[in-house]
Amino acid sequence: MDTHFAQRRRRDLIMAGCLTVIAALVPLFVKDVYVQNIMVLTLMYAALSQSWNILSGYCGQISLGHALYFGLGAYTTALLFTKFGVLPWFGMLAGGAISAVIAMALGYPCFRLRGHYFVIATIVIAEIALLLIQNWDWAGAALGIDIPVRGDSWLKFQFTRSKLPYFYFALALACIAWLVTWWLEDSKWGYWWRAVKDNPDAAESLGVVVFNSKMGAAAVSAFLVAVGGSFYAQFVSYIDPESVMGFQFSLLMALPAVLGGIGTLWGPVLGAVILIPLTELTRSFVGGSGRGVDLIVYGTLIVLISLALPRGLVSVFSLRKEAAR
Amino acid sequence: MTISRRNVLLGATAAAALGPMAARAQASEVAIGVIYPLSGSSAQIGVDAQRAFETAADIINKNYDFALPLAKGEGLPGLGGAKVKLVFADHQADPQKGRAEAERLITQDKVCAVIGTYQSAVAVTVSQICERYQIPFISADNSSPSLHRRGLKYYFRAAPHDEMFSTAMFDFFDAMKKKGQKIKTLSLFHEDTIFGTDSANSQLKLASERGYKVVADIKYRANSPSLTAEVQQLKAANADVLMPSSYTTDAILLVKTMAELGYKPKNIVAQDAGFSEKATYDAVGDKLEGVISRGSFSLDLAQKRPMVGLINEMYRAKSGKDFNDYSSRQFMGLIVMADAINRAKSTDGEKIREALAATDMPGDVTIMPWKRVKFDEMGQNNFADPVLLQYAAKNFVTIFPEQAAVSEAIWPMNS
Amino acid sequence: MTAETIIQSLASGLLMGLLYGLIAAGLALIFGLMDVVNFAHGEFLMIAMYATFFLFAYFAIDPLLAAPLVAAALFVFGAVVYLLVVRFAVRAKANAGMVQIFSTFGLAIVMRGLAQFFFTPDYRSVTHSWLGGKTVSVAGIYLPEPQLVGALVSVVAFIALYFFIHRTDFGRALEATREDAGAVALVGIDKNKVFALGWGLGAALVGLAGAIMAIFFYVYPDVGASFALIAYVTVALGGFGSVFGAFAGGIIVGLVEATTALILPPSLKSVGIYAVYLLIVFIRPRGLFGSM
Repeated sequence: MDTHFAQRRRRDLIMAGCLTVIAALVPLFVKDVYVQNIMVLTLMYAALSQSWNILSGYCGQISLGHALYFGLGAYTTALLFTKFGVLPWFGMLAGGAISAVIAMALGYPCFRLRGHYFVIATIVIAEIALLLIQNWDWAGAALGIDIPVRGDSWLKFQFTRSKLPYFYFALALACIAWLVTWWLEDSKWGYWWRAVKDNPDAAESLGVVVFNSKMGAAAVSAFLVAVGGSFYAQFVSYIDPESVMGFQFSLLMALPAVLGGIGTLWGPVLGAVILIPLTELTRSFVGGSGRGVDLIVYGTLIVLISLALPRGLVSVFSLRKEAAR
Repeated sequence: MTISRRNVLLGATAAAALGPMAARAQASEVAIGVIYPLSGSSAQIGVDAQRAFETAADIINKNYDFALPLAKGEGLPGLGGAKVKLVFADHQADPQKGRAEAERLITQDKVCAVIGTYQSAVAVTVSQICERYQIPFISADNSSPSLHRRGLKYYFRAAPHDEMFSTAMFDFFDAMKKKGQKIKTLSLFHEDTIFGTDSANSQLKLASERGYKVVADIKYRANSPSLTAEVQQLKAANADVLMPSSYTTDAILLVKTMAELGYKPKNIVAQDAGFSEKATYDAVGDKLEGVISRGSFSLDLAQKRPMVGLINEMYRAKSGKDFNDYSSRQFMGLIVMADAINRAKSTDGEKIREALAATDMPGDVTIMPWKRVKFDEMGQNNFADPVLLQYAAKNFVTIFPEQAAVSEAIWPMNS
Repeated sequence: MTAETIIQSLASGLLMGLLYGLIAAGLALIFGLMDVVNFAHGEFLMIAMYATFFLFAYFAIDPLLAAPLVAAALFVFGAVVYLLVVRFAVRAKANAGMVQIFSTFGLAIVMRGLAQFFFTPDYRSVTHSWLGGKTVSVAGIYLPEPQLVGALVSVVAFIALYFFIHRTDFGRALEATREDAGAVALVGIDKNKVFALGWGLGAALVGLAGAIMAIFFYVYPDVGASFALIAYVTVALGGFGSVFGAFAGGIIVGLVEATTALILPPSLKSVGIYAVYLLIVFIRPRGLFGSM
């Protein structure tokens, strides 16, 4: 079994490498900025969802409050830049570090909660943070932060028209999130998490170490999501509390993983590749009617996929593989 | 390079071949992007806005005998009678989606101008994108004063912003005081997004400058399930004037809750939004007798300018509603933009920008009580005089400023 | 801050809290029955409010009279939702929790879209009704009649629910099915029928709440969102699996909300609710009266 597992891991890595190369070449052929914009968002959501998946999928701690970390990343970067002139690259690391620390501080009491108690705790914690920022005048309160864009600059990580730098950054972030997940799958933590999932009794004996590994997962997950938030602030160059910290964002982050296959290596990627273009296109080409048709399409799809494929869309592929074998 | 005979000939042939095509292209259509929330919680605004823009496009594209720019004759004469084509996009009140849609309209639909957006947060990102692509943007109905102060070259706003609106309110208070009314204390009641925050900031500033005491400054969460606690504080403060800045949902709940808790404000002077929406008056109109709201539009104007009434009829035929503060500004947004494109005689962004900057439209060829449309160097029209309207006998009447007023203010509102 | 302000705040908070409890009752019942959190709960409320509004607008039926009709309609609706969607969600062989969350969440989006499609996104209100705008004043404390009646309905509904669960055959069948769905099949109880009826009952309770809410609230496609999170917190705070917990949870949420608004700026009043929730579950991870 071990060799089988190792083989699969090697295959995954090769496939990821090939996909990355192909993805990196796409912008050479696709010049339309609208399409490029969708690709950037797709990669960003793939990265976010992959990071969310570490804590919620592998570790089984379903968080619907990850917008908290996303917002922290976005706000830290934007505030450091606009108030103190700190370059976004440092802001990104600072935002990630702050988020990781907060994730552990919150994880300590929250990991004692089970099931829906935990889910609701994550929602209300993110809501509290949203309300506090919305009422914090120094941080722009509801007015948000408008990041001034003055020409193209790698140093300030801002570009007026070109989407390519954002595209490659998002691609890199998605790759990092994927690699971290790939590495975790085969780590001690990965084994414990699987053991706990398969056998609740194992949870008792592994209690303390599993608790610590969950804290670690929360920190890694929060760090990556915060970097995504920093990226978003630079990409959109304007942030306000509702658009980076709202509950909606927490859901959007979870959806690709859920639809693609929660707790799987490829689920978030597959989910994002299908879901994000679909939502963007339905809004652009159906949403203009003002009659909510885009919502009906989008919602129906979520219901159908989650009911028909509880293991996510990746299960379609693995089933075929099983059959072929 | 020397100009050879051959080159000249080639050029002439090319010009001859392209000539009719270019003319045809000109005569056909001019695409203008319109970005509004068409789904989500403020979808109704977007749906009403669509009708307002369609009404304006109708007037431009067909022949009407109104004293409005471009009404007479079909299409834009400056571009060989080209018709205005509106391309709508849905931003769902999300700044990120707003910018993506603006970019799509500019690059795919080749719009030469953009109009939007209702939510000020979305106007921030949409105007940034327009700046980057050098496409003029008219902020038709955003009232956040910070918008035009960001050093953008392609940003224009024909309508007033919150500071102008609030200034009109305080001018009105000063005028009432001169007439012997007692106005000393104010209660501010505002929601916690950009609209309410900006509005309250300018009102706080004006109150301290002009010596009014703010006895309650209540910021509440938009779409709150209950406003009971908030209304209690307003009731306890019982100021001479209650100044709400609320969208429709909260406006309805506020009025209902005030009635339930037995609070009858002495006067309400509202920052528009919910207090100019038909839905609010349908729901709680009986409790709003005498309420004053700022506005940039008044149907009274139809008495002086009959076309206002006729255009309003056209809009009502499409939407089932009268023009309100929002739809009238949206309507004017397209008229001002189309007028500039017409004068630019081009769909080039820079040329339209120059034409917009040179706009000087007298107030009486608009449907608004404005003095004129003329932009300052930041793209703001400072001649857009706001009006104050009072809801009396199920109708809005203009009560301020004096030159636009058709009747005296009923003060206090319940008298 | 005068004593009158404080008493008024607490009284209003209590009334609002009882209403929150009524809104949450259906959620608690459904959860208690089959461990499913209905993420479309807010949209159920929205449908109920629309139903009340249309009965008023087209048939001039007062919301109070409409309440039983709306509850009946929602009963059918709830049962149908169970049979069409939830039945398949609970059968999921993997990631059951996740499938439930997202299938009901997807349903919520569809319901909002449909409401926008059929009813337009415009804001509607019941303009006049028997209770609308009426208020009782006792020693300077104002108690709005719609909320008073809402509170009364809430108390009655919870008492009825208690007797229903503990004293009727159907209630016992519900309990038994919850305990062990496999075993009840042996004694001839159809699990699906019981669950469908449970969902119907839960939805009917939301129907009651919606009819009363429509008297003093506005209706539009997104109206449920404001109440959904409060309902989840209410149920969790009281403890999943306990219908009485939802009742207590509602009262606590209402009172905490009113008290927070006295101390903090009103825009932060939900922070009080959320903080109390966290405090309670950190001390008692199963909520106040939870069994699981």
